[in-house]
Amino acid sequence: MAEIDAAGRSTREINRAIRRLSAESSKEITVRNPGARHNLAVAILDEVHIRVAGSVGYYCGGLIDGASIEIEGSAGWGVAESMLSGTVRVHGNVGSGAAAAIRGGTVVIHGNAAARLGVSMKGGTVIVAGNCGYMAGFMAQKGTLIVCGDAGEAFADSMYATICYVGGKIANLGTDAVLAPLDSGEAEQLEQTLNGYLPPSLRRAKPVAAEFKKVIAGRRLWNFDKRDWRIWQEAL
Amino acid sequence: MSELQKSGIFAPKVIEEIQAKAESGLYSIRGFGTLRERRWPTFDDLTFLPCSLTRIPLEGYREKCSTKTVLGTRFAKKPIELDIPVMITGMSWGALSYNAKVALAKGAAAAGSSNTTGDGGMLKAERENSRTLIYEVLPSRYGINIHHMRVADAIELTIGQGAKPGTGGLLLGSKVSDRIAEQRDLPLGVDQRSPARHPDFLGPDDMIIKVEELREATDWQVPIFIKLGATRVYDDVKLAAKAGADVIVVDGMEGGTGASPAIFQEHTGLPTLAAVSEARCALEDVGLYGAVQLIIAGGIRDGADAAKAMALGADACYIGTAALIALNCNKPIYADDYRAIGAAPHACHHCHTGRCPVGITTQDPDLMKRLDVEQGAERVRNLLQVMTSEIQMLARACGKSDVHHLEPEDMAALTLEASAICGIPLVGTRKVFRH
Repeated sequence: MAEIDAAGRSTREINRAIRRLSAESSKEITVRNPGARHNLAVAILDEVHIRVAGSVGYYCGGLIDGASIEIEGSAGWGVAESMLSGTVRVHGNVGSGAAAAIRGGTVVIHGNAAARLGVSMKGGTVIVAGNCGYMAGFMAQKGTLIVCGDAGEAFADSMYATICYVGGKIANLGTDAVLAPLDSGEAEQLEQTLNGYLPPSLRRAKPVAAEFKKVIAGRRLWNFDKRDWRIWQEAL
Repeated sequence: MSELQKSGIFAPKVIEEIQAKAESGLYSIRGFGTLRERRWPTFDDLTFLPCSLTRIPLEGYREKCSTKTVLGTRFAKKPIELDIPVMITGMSWGALSYNAKVALAKGAAAAGSSNTTGDGGMLKAERENSRTLIYEVLPSRYGINIHHMRVADAIELTIGQGAKPGTGGLLLGSKVSDRIAEQRDLPLGVDQRSPARHPDFLGPDDMIIKVEELREATDWQVPIFIKLGATRVYDDVKLAAKAGADVIVVDGMEGGTGASPAIFQEHTGLPTLAAVSEARCALEDVGLYGAVQLIIAGGIRDGADAAKAMALGADACYIGTAALIALNCNKPIYADDYRAIGAAPHACHHCHTGRCPVGITTQDPDLMKRLDVEQGAERVRNLLQVMTSEIQMLARACGKSDVHHLEPEDMAALTLEASAICGIPLVGTRKVFRH
């Protein structure tokens, strides 16, 4: 187990130390005293487990491919943005744009998420144990977005092919977001995904998988059509 | 018989446009860029003042005049070094065909210049055939891939584009082929609407953090460009410089697009001439002129446009549409196919249809075959080299041994507007407007 004390070191020094240790085949790295600093553990391309003992600022775990990052506090904006694969787990809450534009991997949030969770996501899985703010799933393209608690306003607005599940209440659906019934076997699959990443003890809201609401795109924004003028006029 | 008088307000073209909207119920979407008659100040409103008695020219066809262009000297460990100051701008694989992307890469490489990825990620063949490749990070983040970012020679964080500042582009369903859909993680055949805002930052202050992230992701090795659509250029350039840009790209309203609402192309943004003047002024006012390099884009057609932009303060120019024209855009060949999409050679702005008659802005395999990669690359290389020679000729005539030594004093303004904008005297006067 390698350790890096972030106190008094620049972001550049910390990230370089992470890269050096993972290149030296450390499988477990702990970063102490992160001090809510921005851009920690970005673009880590090794299969290494990084434990951050505290809260982080913007873009922690952004642009990673294969790393597993565990943040033992809360995270600022854009946690895990544009990741290709790997896992980012946040014990606390996350700021806006969490998991923005991810193309793969899994983001697990034990607390609540702020606005635009999973915005423009292109793949992967996002799981939130608590609630999420407005415009979660905005323009999301692919992948799976799971919110165990309540979802804020304009949920799943203007999506392409992302599939969303919400365990609690949805304040309101965004433009072109529609509720859809769970397919046969889908509840079991959802339960499996949840159990794999978020055991019941960590779920604040605990609806059973079969009670999750499924939200997908109504596909009315997928191609321009003059008959849909009003939804374009009113689109967020 | 005297001719019947037509309205100057509701001219025939306006009547057609109104009736087309009334029929279709849709606003006009098209490619290419603004089609308006140029009534705003442009580089054509400037003229060079070559040497006579007060300054001594260099021998036009023989004496050395350096064109070497270095970009990214502020923070990057490895600034990019180009043989020439004319670069190929970012145009996406999606908007452009595979053959067009590869031809641009090869042509730019052969001329010792750079090319840029665009709003659809990096093509393997693009990297392999580029000498200097700039990786664009756009609001959509289509195809974003850290491995591609790390093999790029520079990163360009795009905030906006001259043809449509403040809005995202479009890629209509006819061009979202299976390969493009896969690359962009989209369903096949959707009308793709690119976002206007980045998904993970909003303003100039958190952009500072984004720039640091890109530096960390590329280990502070390569330059970070920030690209702006020309609107409030004076303020935006200062904010981009504050955010830590090595290089700032300003794209004027004459810039092109693969597809966007016509209303943006015709009614938004600042002319390129005004953009370069404001950008230089902004960098001077924050004491970073020269330290932060400036690239100007938007309707640059030839060496004269490029030389004037450089004399006004640009370190280099991007070309986009001109490079596509070198690839045969709007050439009078396959005339029937132009007509089939409602266009004609020299009057085609139908990039959005995906039915480009010359194989450039299409994903149709048969149309794409019309663009031969090797021949296209050769023409792009030729254009870049000729433009560079034109810049050199003007620079030598102005007594400069380096094209980057061109300065505002080498020019006079032909119109009062250009004089006021550029701060150089109107021909026949000694008066200078100060910013």
